[in-house]
Amino acid sequence: MTTESYEHLLGWWTAFDDPFVWITSVAAVVVLTASGIAIQLLKRSGRINAALFQDMWLRWKSWLWLALLMLIPILLGAAWVIVAVAVLSLLCFSEYARATGLFREKLLCAVVVFGVLALTFASADNYSRLYFALGPLIVGFLAIVTIPQDRPHGYIQRTALAVMGFLLLGHGLGYLALIANSAHYRSLLLLILIGVEANDVFAYCVGKTIGGPKLIPNTSPGKTIAGSIGALVLTTALVATLGHVIFHDTAMDRLELLLVLGAGMSILGQYGDLLLSSIKRDLGLKDLGVAIPGHGGMLDRFDSLVLVPPAAFHFLSLHLGPLNGAFAERILTGG
Amino acid sequence: MDEWKLQPARDLGLTGLERSRSLLRESGLVASMVRWCVWGILGVGFRLLHKLKVEGCENLPASPSFVMVANHASHFDALVLGAALPLAWRDAIFPVAAGDVFFERRGMAAIVTTLINALPVWRRRPGAHEINTLRQRLAGGNCIFILFPEGTRSRDGCMTPFKPGIGMMVAGSPVPVVPCHLCGTHDVFPPNRVLPRLLPITLRIGAPLDFTAVANTSAGWRQIAADLESAVRELMQ
Repeated sequence: MTTESYEHLLGWWTAFDDPFVWITSVAAVVVLTASGIAIQLLKRSGRINAALFQDMWLRWKSWLWLALLMLIPILLGAAWVIVAVAVLSLLCFSEYARATGLFREKLLCAVVVFGVLALTFASADNYSRLYFALGPLIVGFLAIVTIPQDRPHGYIQRTALAVMGFLLLGHGLGYLALIANSAHYRSLLLLILIGVEANDVFAYCVGKTIGGPKLIPNTSPGKTIAGSIGALVLTTALVATLGHVIFHDTAMDRLELLLVLGAGMSILGQYGDLLLSSIKRDLGLKDLGVAIPGHGGMLDRFDSLVLVPPAAFHFLSLHLGPLNGAFAERILTGG
Repeated sequence: MDEWKLQPARDLGLTGLERSRSLLRESGLVASMVRWCVWGILGVGFRLLHKLKVEGCENLPASPSFVMVANHASHFDALVLGAALPLAWRDAIFPVAAGDVFFERRGMAAIVTTLINALPVWRRRPGAHEINTLRQRLAGGNCIFILFPEGTRSRDGCMTPFKPGIGMMVAGSPVPVVPCHLCGTHDVFPPNRVLPRLLPITLRIGAPLDFTAVANTSAGWRQIAADLESAVRELMQ
């Protein structure tokens, strides 16, 4: 491994070389601290009752942990991001499998876990061709692996669930690890995480403030058309502004491209949320887990992120060239 | 192999300790791999260190569900019974353990559920609801309960009378009950010892008993307990 590759994978000391990274990190600390103080002040001034305080404080603490768990790997280096994405994929798949009953199909689950580990290896090796090939290869493997069990009843449903789980939660989320192989991965990952999480907050706040007709009430009764449009407008503006800073003097630094990137993130973020809502409604569930107090499961928090990374990766690659060009391909296997 | 069902885990939405204590607990791939290792290591360990001899393997039913009952003289008993079963059944094995001993503290509950998939029964407050849940679980298929109807470990190694709770679980049900006798576990690890001794253990497995025709009444439960107690005593001879 070259010094350059080593520094890229484990170089925590370069974390704040990019001004966008340290500004974002400081902003995250300030926002979290200020919101924590605000909740305590609201309680002490008697403006919120004990039950509401408990709920808000629980959510705040969960956000604190989530922010740390997202930020720390990004600051530590690409290798930590790749490991964190693999853990996130496996936790999300575990919740999905338990919610759908797929967890009882241990062979299919084993193939999905193998697929996620193979994707992680491809990202760690900076071997993007292997990463892209693993999509159809693992899907094919999932399609045939249970055939020798001679259980045709339920074949389509269980295989389709495993394929969907792998493609969305393994291959889709795994693009975050692939993005970690780009030269400016810290700012790109922060842009995606900020864009997606802000999109959720904008939709909630605008929807609560304006109200109005529901978006698709049978799927997600709480979402409004106003919230959806508000999130689209505000997220597009936010991502375009931050994108202008990150992509300054590159081929991406054009207003129309930044607007497409922001709008795409908002639309796909909302569809990711609705996709998981559809699964939950179909199964008659409120939440997919209890991993994050005040939020539900991992997927209840990260559902908006599921569709965004592959789209962002390929859109940025289209205009900036291959994103994994920070250092040589196949750094572990040599090639 | 079970039929495919688009059905969430029965313990979905439960937090750590609640899930450990749930009689409906279902586990996935990681737990299955852990148990493959645990039961495999215990099987090899008992055979090497305690010269475990299993007699009457041919009496085991061809597939789950069934119940194994045995005399109880040591914490090793459930481990020996589980280790004597084929590894392919590892996900179906549920030693039924005393809730007040193994499920009061979070750490201990996590250990016994993760490693051996134990289910709790609360001896000071056993309820009909608990027994019915276990009964339904047995009827649902792919389930092997390891039970000790004496209710607690014998302090002197002598078998004490069986309690009728086992009858509540199997009366009028087609699930077979396999009587077993454990010889040597009291000498190996009696209740008053901290570390086990390296002494031989023998497990005798008797022919399964069927209680489909026994009424699900208190008289039926007592009859089942008595029948099983005599079947285990016969294996002692």
